[in-house]
Amino acid sequence: MNWLKNLFRVWRRETHLVFTDIGVLLFFFALPLAYPIVYTLIYNPEIVKKIDTVVVDNSRSAESRELVRELGATQGVNIVGYAADMGEARRAMMEKKCYGVLEIPSDYGRRIGRGEQAVTSFYCDMSLLLRFRQYLFAMTDVQMNEVTRITSQRLADGGLLTSSIGGLPVDSQPNFLGDVTQGFASFVMPGIVVLILQQSMLLGITMISGTSRDRRRRNGGTDPLDYDAGPTATVLGKSLCYLMIYLPLSYYILEIVPYMFSLPHVGRFMDFMPMIFVMLLATSFLGQTLQIFVRERESSLLVIVFTSVVFLFLSGLTWPRYAFNKFWLMVSDLIPATFGMEGLIRINSNGASLADVSQYYWGLWALTGLYFVTALLLRYFVSRKPKSQTAEGTITV
Amino acid sequence: MLLRLIKRELRRLTSRKIYIFMMLIVPLGCSFFLLNLMNEGLPLKVPVGMVDLDHSSLSRKVGRSLSASELIDISSDLEDFHSAMEKVRSGEIYGFFLIPRDFQKKAIGGSTPTLSFYSNMAIFVPGSLSYKGFKTIAVTTSGGIVKTTLVGAGADETTAGSLIQPMVIRTHPLNNPWTNYAIYLCQSFIPCLLALIVLLVTVFSICQEHKIGSSVEWLREAGGNMAMALLGKLLPQTLIFTAVGVALQSVMFGYLHFPLNNHPLHMILAMFLLVAACQGFAVFITEMLPNLRIALSVMSLTGILCFSIAGFSFPVEKMYGGVAIFSYLVPIRYYFLIYIDQALNGIPIYYSRFYYIALLIFMLLPALGLRRLKKQCINPVYVP
Repeated sequence: MNWLKNLFRVWRRETHLVFTDIGVLLFFFALPLAYPIVYTLIYNPEIVKKIDTVVVDNSRSAESRELVRELGATQGVNIVGYAADMGEARRAMMEKKCYGVLEIPSDYGRRIGRGEQAVTSFYCDMSLLLRFRQYLFAMTDVQMNEVTRITSQRLADGGLLTSSIGGLPVDSQPNFLGDVTQGFASFVMPGIVVLILQQSMLLGITMISGTSRDRRRRNGGTDPLDYDAGPTATVLGKSLCYLMIYLPLSYYILEIVPYMFSLPHVGRFMDFMPMIFVMLLATSFLGQTLQIFVRERESSLLVIVFTSVVFLFLSGLTWPRYAFNKFWLMVSDLIPATFGMEGLIRINSNGASLADVSQYYWGLWALTGLYFVTALLLRYFVSRKPKSQTAEGTITV
Repeated sequence: MLLRLIKRELRRLTSRKIYIFMMLIVPLGCSFFLLNLMNEGLPLKVPVGMVDLDHSSLSRKVGRSLSASELIDISSDLEDFHSAMEKVRSGEIYGFFLIPRDFQKKAIGGSTPTLSFYSNMAIFVPGSLSYKGFKTIAVTTSGGIVKTTLVGAGADETTAGSLIQPMVIRTHPLNNPWTNYAIYLCQSFIPCLLALIVLLVTVFSICQEHKIGSSVEWLREAGGNMAMALLGKLLPQTLIFTAVGVALQSVMFGYLHFPLNNHPLHMILAMFLLVAACQGFAVFITEMLPNLRIALSVMSLTGILCFSIAGFSFPVEKMYGGVAIFSYLVPIRYYFLIYIDQALNGIPIYYSRFYYIALLIFMLLPALGLRRLKKQCINPVYVP
């Protein structure tokens, strides 16, 4: 009973500390509320359309004009004009007036007329992968269409073999799962929001503890605002406070934000809420472990912010996890956002149920256990030796 | 006087672990992490599945070509569509290839069966790679059958070839013919991470003077000259960060042979200017928001947003106009553009002149608020 009372008091004190500290409020509320919107706005055009492209047409035949028309009609390409030669096209590219050059050789029309194979070259600026990808799709489309058109014409003209081949003997049908439109925001956002939840919570927790250590330093080794309770009650009480704040926020992030920007959202409440609950729990314990590295209020920013980049890569969103070596795979398994992202992306975009992603779900429970123990040990160590806090005393300059 | 200020700053930098941690360990460690993680260049061998409902000699041939592809790795042979979807949902595979019932019978009988393939685009890169691998196999399978039929009907090999592919578009990816993905990510994320750290450390080191009240003494050392005080404070940091940055460049360009198609000095100059521009930007923000926490928060928010807004992955000219202008308000954007022009494409420096100038302007920004900063230094206030 006494323990429960302590738990309640720790929770009350922590909530008080959070709501009276504008810096922490910024991390706990402004960040998770605003960042998903800011990020989605950046990527919301989703698909790179109409990339400026220049054509060098040395053939000047009906066939080459047909090819350019086809290319201009694709989603990815916008023909800005013709260049007299490759030199002029190159200059346009250097001045960033175009990102790709199609060079049609002088014998293009002739070769097609003769029934030979005609080869054209496309030169593509490689500064951004998305542009290259879009160009590649456009070129494949155009080539397929042209090939089908020319072949059927040739076969009809030739008069032979038409009966044995009517078009291609085997059709192929690509299907896209998850992010069906292949939009960029639709791919990035379901993952990034999970990282935002974790990082903002870590920032807030470490700032609270950094501030407490600042106070302790000023008050000769004790923090007047610290509520003295057992280690278990302290760790759990604090986590209770963070979860109370974060559960509604994650509902906003996982349910409302996708509706606002019509991102893929086929996950069900009963699948993603348990998942995010464990992830937040694990993160709250991780934060209480990491606070040992934060010795003053402001250094929380220095210590935590750059980890966002590291955690982003560890999560496998940009570089898939199957290509990790054993060591980095192990490290990535220690980050709650990794499992959170893997699981929540599948729930949100692929419509997986909690049972489908159970491996990530149980992985998160394991992390929860691990970080609970570390946070507890840390708390035990700190509360056992209150005097040792004076040792860290003043910050040397 | 400048020498004395520099000495004072060096003492401060070495006296606290956080500076050494942030200025050396974090940039070098994180870069090692990124470069080591992606040393393959492309995450090939995407785990995918195959559903063979036909079990014919032709379908097995398709299966063999699939397993020979370097892009994908058939990790599981699956019973049916539903078990394949289940594996996609659980994240075990990133896509699967489906060969329908009676595939061989229809293909040879001329009634056009359909090979279908499924790629999970929720994870972009493996999704795209598996799509590319599947598509190649589907097209070559189709071509192979036509060729066999044509040759069987009496056409010679070349005629058959030109009938199947009467026109080809050869795509030449300029300066990255391997379509190496690591080059993209490392060349943008590593400098951006360094820029983030420069922003944070600059603000931290200046506002720390306000927080512990040593700013008066700092200003006195400089004889009341704010510009001199700043120079003495930031110069050692500029040198350290530039050294770290150039070291990272040399690892990427020199050791890993990432494309560098111009004189290395162009990039070294860009790195120095990037560091100085970030410092200038950070000092300017400090002058406007003289509070350690707020200034640091603003720097973190901008520094992290830089990774997206600078257009490393999504082209800036395709973003919403109101969003895209912010891209030009951060120094890293100009470094990235210089990198593309000078290192990747190796075009004359003339075309990048404005980017260098932009970085220079960032460097001079602090001049606008020197008087404000001086006032704060004389009356240091710490607001938590």
